[in-house]
Amino acid sequence: MKITLQRIVAAAALLASGAAMAQAKPVCGLNNGKAASGEPIALGAVVGKTGPDDFSASALASQAYFKCVNANGGINGRPVELTIVDDQWNPEVAAQAAAKLVKDRKVLAMVGSSSFVECGVNAKLYAQEDVMVIAGVGVPRECFFAKNYVPVNAGPRVSATVVAMYAAQAYKAKKMVCVIPNIPSLGNWACDGAKDWGKANGVDVDVLAIDPGSPDATSTMLQAAAKKPDAIILNVPKGIMVPMLAAAEQQGLAKKIHFVSSTPAYNFDVPKAIGAAWNGNFDIHLEFMPVESAGADNLNWKATMEAFGSKSDPRDSFAQAGYLAARIVTEALLKMDPKKIDRASVSAALRNVKGFKSDILCRQFYVGDGARHNANSSGPISQVSGNGFKQVSNGCLMAADPELSDLREQEKKFGL
Amino acid sequence: MTPDSIRRERRAARLALLRMVFVVLALGALVPWLANAYWIKTLTSSLALAIAAAGVALLYGQLGLVSLCQYSLLGVGGWVALRVGHGLHWPFEACVVAGGLSAGVVGMLAGLPALRMKGLYLALVTLMLAGGFQVVISATGFPDGGAGFLGRISGSERLMLPRPALAQGEGAYFAYVAAWLAAMLALLELHRRTRAGRSWALIRRGEAVAEGAGVNVLLYQTWAFGLAGVCAGVAGALLSGAVGQLDGRAFAASESVMLFALSLIGGAYYWAGALVAGLLLRAVPSLLVDLGVNGYLAMVFFGAALLHALITAPRGLAGQWLAAFQRRAAKGRA
Amino acid sequence: MPDLLPFLISGLGVGAVYALSGVGLVVLYRSSGVLNFAFGALGAVAAYVAWSALDHDWPLALAALAAVVTSVAISLTYGRLLAPRLAERESTVRSIGTLGLALVVLGFTEWFWGEQPRRLVLPTDAGAIEFADVRLTYTRVLGLAAAVSMMAAVGLLLARTRIGLAMRALADQRALSSILGIRVLQVDTAAWVISGAFAGVCGLLLANIVRLQATVLTFLVIPAFAAAIIGRLSSLPVTVAAGLIIGMLEAVAVLVPGLAPFRSATPFVIALLAIVLWRDASRKA
Repeated sequence: MKITLQRIVAAAALLASGAAMAQAKPVCGLNNGKAASGEPIALGAVVGKTGPDDFSASALASQAYFKCVNANGGINGRPVELTIVDDQWNPEVAAQAAAKLVKDRKVLAMVGSSSFVECGVNAKLYAQEDVMVIAGVGVPRECFFAKNYVPVNAGPRVSATVVAMYAAQAYKAKKMVCVIPNIPSLGNWACDGAKDWGKANGVDVDVLAIDPGSPDATSTMLQAAAKKPDAIILNVPKGIMVPMLAAAEQQGLAKKIHFVSSTPAYNFDVPKAIGAAWNGNFDIHLEFMPVESAGADNLNWKATMEAFGSKSDPRDSFAQAGYLAARIVTEALLKMDPKKIDRASVSAALRNVKGFKSDILCRQFYVGDGARHNANSSGPISQVSGNGFKQVSNGCLMAADPELSDLREQEKKFGL
Repeated sequence: MTPDSIRRERRAARLALLRMVFVVLALGALVPWLANAYWIKTLTSSLALAIAAAGVALLYGQLGLVSLCQYSLLGVGGWVALRVGHGLHWPFEACVVAGGLSAGVVGMLAGLPALRMKGLYLALVTLMLAGGFQVVISATGFPDGGAGFLGRISGSERLMLPRPALAQGEGAYFAYVAAWLAAMLALLELHRRTRAGRSWALIRRGEAVAEGAGVNVLLYQTWAFGLAGVCAGVAGALLSGAVGQLDGRAFAASESVMLFALSLIGGAYYWAGALVAGLLLRAVPSLLVDLGVNGYLAMVFFGAALLHALITAPRGLAGQWLAAFQRRAAKGRA
Repeated sequence: MPDLLPFLISGLGVGAVYALSGVGLVVLYRSSGVLNFAFGALGAVAAYVAWSALDHDWPLALAALAAVVTSVAISLTYGRLLAPRLAERESTVRSIGTLGLALVVLGFTEWFWGEQPRRLVLPTDAGAIEFADVRLTYTRVLGLAAAVSMMAAVGLLLARTRIGLAMRALADQRALSSILGIRVLQVDTAAWVISGAFAGVCGLLLANIVRLQATVLTFLVIPAFAAAIIGRLSSLPVTVAAGLIIGMLEAVAVLVPGLAPFRSATPFVIALLAIVLWRDASRKA
């Protein structure tokens, strides 16, 4: 009873703070301002930090949120300790990291993980040890097809599908080329959502699997353009995307073909890097609402980072994902009996998560006990504008990817 | 050289061999009791890579040949082990042997055009092979339970290679890898003491010298490449058993270069050097990650340490420590 | 048969930089007997310095100068302080020493500048030559011109000048040459300075044509070695031709249906073929 009352108070406080400016005090957990001092709850995160890109922003945001929770009564008095390990984009190190967290540290769950390589390597360990992973960001196929792995983001397949749907809607594109790196679990999967959607909707989507290590982006762009598409979908990491756009600009393609991209391009250094030729000319699917949106939860995320994150922590969509993951886990833990918090009960509680609402997400988030998880399958479209972005879609588009049919069934049962 | 002194030498050599095997097996038995899960996993990788480093050391220490594609042969061994393990369900030992032998054959084939090349030219050619392998394996990936030649699964979770029945747990698998390391080191040492080793020593002096002494240079050089390949293949198969899967992006050409560099630093003339190389390749970076050192600063530190070791320890770290130990022992005797 | 010409021309861009990098590598090899694994890393740090300078609104000439000065300074420091300590060892060990330098420079560059996406934009990008459906930006034309002119200049230096002669002598027989009175320190300095300058210029061009990313630029030294191998680590004209051909074939490979995902293996395949086909010439290097 007391817990319910506290939650009502917390919800009311959240509503009230929604009207205030971003500098407001962040609202998290029990929100009672008391430092938690009980027996710590161990959680972990595996992030790909040293390597082709730095995904650590999500775990850092989770950590900021947990610091806020610890300063506000903890999990019914118990503080949360999040241990973050860098897997250096190396599968061997990812296995070591999981061993360290799951077996040595004995974490109860993983929160805010963001790694390109750990899903395939560690999925079996997580299933065996019954550790649930509420991940910030997952990329390859095995992150979305594992029993215990729950990414908060939408994934490259969904992202490419949504942006293809937008291109068909906004530019009446009938022929598209989808560019994807030829890495196993990505090259044969992530553009197929757009392709399969296109087949069912009279749009011809050609998949171009490229060698990500190739130094020659010009030939790739020439090859894509040779197919005479109305739109080119770039479904590649931003490090490869920037040279591709540079090559496209040099070959004069920016004015002839519509260029759109899945979510990796949504980064605040990208507009300046790609230059003025793409101003108002490059559309990107976002997995969450834009970083500058004025929703209450989004402002709360910013306030949490301001108060409990360090200055160097990025405030980007990865951080939004980490914040959401931490919030999901916190709310699930708060519902539990503080004396009976162990791995099995935490995993059960996390599987029970449904109807999680946040204005950062387009739809309610859920976990469920299915064999795979991909609850976030919609998002808005933003366009490069000046040195930033502006939203160009009316709200969110939901991916009509035939592969998601099993999840749509589940969602119908949940009443979503 | 008297019959007595020969007998003493032979006995000393036998004892040295037994000592080496004993030390490695003892490590295999003791470490699981002392280390936590993170370190057991790390040290398992270190021991597996020590086998590959022993192969590199064979080529460089015995024959003066530089091979910059040994990590790729590791990948070949791992690929074959995974393919036969998932596809034909062979017992683990058979997978390791298959991996080792296939990498040995590929190593021999790679060694053939390189036969007349020496020094840096050979190094560059092997680097080209490593570069080519990197591109191919990044695109095809490793088998993980699927059907077809490439054995890639799609539509469900990636499978892990099942471990041997008596080495399912982490500690048990560590001891298992240690046993393989002891066996491979003993194999190399026995080669060194027999005709093969003498032929290699002559080839190192000069091909003309060797031919003049009646050594079949083609055979023994190819044999050395094959043996180094077997070491790499066995290491790859054991690594695939350790993690359960291998990822195509972890087999870049730079890994082969690092393997060579660290084998050199560990000491290419001693068996302990291979062990040191394995530790440098996996345990030292893991230590830095464990301590929370930024990955790139760790890289700077590594590069500086590489230069330092290269400059101050011509016979490698193992050689340096052995020399210091022997000096201490001599002082004790005096 | 799809039109090959646009791809051949676009391949000239990357090919030019392979050629230039190859010349830089062969020059250092011929003048000091060392294979410089740090060539790419030095180029990367130079490119990042140029980017930072341009970001702070420095004029282009000053930014490029700062970049080349950086790579020359690092190269010189290594060449005068660390390389002499390895001078007695065999060439393999000396080359592995440069690997240590590469790790230090790469680690520092990645740590200092971080992972944000960047582009090195040069003013020569704006103009281009239109040729058969492809636009060859002036930067790439510059790269081509640089490759050919550098090849000629270095060839002349090594063949016709006293210091070039001294470099070749030192690379061949270090101890003997120093006894004969060749000023070892002076010549070594010159060799490392030239190599550092090459690395800087290549780094700027590569960062523009390929991608401004430290790890990628560092390991582009491996395909550059392919061009150097085909030139048998001695002939500069062959190295340049090989670099251009490799670039063009890699671009064309994008059209071959099965080969496109593997096309960055083109330099390695061509180098291996060249070695196997011209085996008699490939004796001790």
